[in-house]
Amino acid sequence: MGRQLIYVIAAICAAMTIILFLILTAEPVANAGGSAHPIFAGMRIGGDGLARLEHIGSLGYAFQALLLSLIVAFATLGVSEKHRTPRLRAYMIATLIFSLFILWQMVSSHLSFIATGETTYFMGFPAPTAWAMYGVWLGGIPLVLIYTLGFRQFIYTDEDQAEFEKLVAKSAAEGQETNNNPEEAR
Amino acid sequence: MEAYRQEIILGAVALYMVFCVITGLWAMRRTSDASDFFVAGRGLGPIVISLALFSSTLSGFGFVGGPGLVYSIGVSSFWMITISTAGYALGFFMVSKRIRMIAELRNCISLPDVLAARYGSEAVRLLVAITIVLGVMGYLATQILAMAVVMQAILSGTAMFADIGLVACVAISSTVLIFYCVTGGIIASVYTDVVQGGIMMVAGVLILLTAMSVFDGGMTEATSIILKDDSEAIMPWGSAGIMASLGWFFVFGLGLAGQPHLVTKMMMNRNISDNRHIFPLSVMGYVLAALLWVSIGIIMRATVIDGVIPPLGLPDDAASVFLSVFTSPLLAGIVFAGLFAAIMSTSDAFLNIGTAAIIHDIPKAIWGKNIENELMWARIVTVILAIVAALFALYSYYADATLVALLGAFGWATFAASLFPVVALGLNWKGATVPGAVAAIVSALIINFGVQLAGIALPYGVSGGLLSFVVSLFLFLSVSLITKPPVLDRDIDRVMDI
Repeated sequence: MGRQLIYVIAAICAAMTIILFLILTAEPVANAGGSAHPIFAGMRIGGDGLARLEHIGSLGYAFQALLLSLIVAFATLGVSEKHRTPRLRAYMIATLIFSLFILWQMVSSHLSFIATGETTYFMGFPAPTAWAMYGVWLGGIPLVLIYTLGFRQFIYTDEDQAEFEKLVAKSAAEGQETNNNPEEAR
Repeated sequence: MEAYRQEIILGAVALYMVFCVITGLWAMRRTSDASDFFVAGRGLGPIVISLALFSSTLSGFGFVGGPGLVYSIGVSSFWMITISTAGYALGFFMVSKRIRMIAELRNCISLPDVLAARYGSEAVRLLVAITIVLGVMGYLATQILAMAVVMQAILSGTAMFADIGLVACVAISSTVLIFYCVTGGIIASVYTDVVQGGIMMVAGVLILLTAMSVFDGGMTEATSIILKDDSEAIMPWGSAGIMASLGWFFVFGLGLAGQPHLVTKMMMNRNISDNRHIFPLSVMGYVLAALLWVSIGIIMRATVIDGVIPPLGLPDDAASVFLSVFTSPLLAGIVFAGLFAAIMSTSDAFLNIGTAAIIHDIPKAIWGKNIENELMWARIVTVILAIVAALFALYSYYADATLVALLGAFGWATFAASLFPVVALGLNWKGATVPGAVAAIVSALIINFGVQLAGIALPYGVSGGLLSFVVSLFLFLSVSLITKPPVLDRDIDRVMDI
């Protein structure tokens, strides 16, 4: 994955733009964004979960899947091209699969609750919400591990550090402390 | 001890404010030029940076508006928090290394400085600086308003200050903020952030433990009560629905790497290699502090539905009512100090970047040179900016009593949509062009302000922030791809290869 990564990112962004347009122009559902609680002022209720997802549910899930893909693609873009090794790519793909698995669990358990009205609880929350609360948060942890444990391998290697120090030294030697004047640095 | 509840709370907050003032005086001795005032001479260690980073992220919006949002719309607002790991990840993967490199190579003291160097364009510097000033006004006003609301809640509980008004509270809290920001600049800001971050983490954990003891069945009983009342409120998309939730997920996740008050802190560390420690420490701190947001909101919604306490006057009262009803005076004192800490840590960061934009970047973009005696002007403009933001906060409060939280989200979204592509993509893609950057910033500002000012309600809870962010990203990429690739300065080109 080299220079074409930016085209992958552009394609994901284009797809998200299209999906957002489709959602904005979809057949409207009353109170899709919630409505006032009938008893308690200041509280809002969601109401009929199935009706709210009827026209845009799949689009919303696709939007979220693309967003998760975009996050991984952006993180990969943040790694210098020369360090985007097969191992890094494997880690990034595994991260994406992990995130998509959590999304699938959350969506399927929510739809199951809507259909049956029954749910189990995990650490204080109904199962679908626990997937959203703990699962989605955990979905970003592989990126923390890749960055922290792979820092000297993918992010800022000893060679990178030496190269940057050389650049700083050269800049100082050339009197290139330009006070941020780009013309002088060309 | 219960009889002295208000006095204990007041004492904890007063102690904290005295600490801020002393830190300001201490930091003044270490602030000798504009570089010290704005980027602490790029000499801060990993623990200081990580605490400053997360405490600036979780502002008054998180401590006052966050629990209020959970009370009001249930789980929907969780999406702002659960994305934090991925959000920080993008900040560190995409921004932290190169922004620090360019800052050192070009002696940059602000984000617009770095972007002017990256794009070789004063137009980009000017646009980014203007965006920062606009966003700072909205965000800083939110923080000052939150600070005043909390202070009024504390003081009005005492006999001596029972009738104190909001204007007086704005004046008192702003004075402390201005004092330590003016005297100590960013050095005072980050060192107060360290203590602020510590208080916020302790407060988050203690509040979670307290919240779990409100119902015999713990958090499970609380969420069951909400489920019986309205299941969607406690299901993954909450009352606000799927697109409102995903909008926050998008804007708060990707947007973190476009927040100028956060990425500017990534310029201040002593060593680039410290980032490997700063990243996990920041995430951990944020998660611990955010426990307060989730647990107070859930418990307050459940207790009101269950009839344990009467309905709140305003959703934003959730945190203060929880503290007065369910916590010991000592814990309430710690948490109220934590509330001020959260608000002030963000406010001082905004004051700092707003001042840098006004006295450093805008003059440089227009006249091509720095103004003389930047340090003196920095102090003067800090005072003026805080006063203007305080007046704006009062106007917003009395003319339009919307949730503090939504104003905060608007500020975040403005920065996210307009700056993320320019900063995060621009620092990692040599093909990013000036026209692409201009298109992204201008489109984001127009859509964000247009939707907000015109009061347009998009279908399915889609927010103006989400729409502007998606359009801005799309325009940045497409315009950059069809315009001529830029010739980068030699040093910048090499930095982007590292």
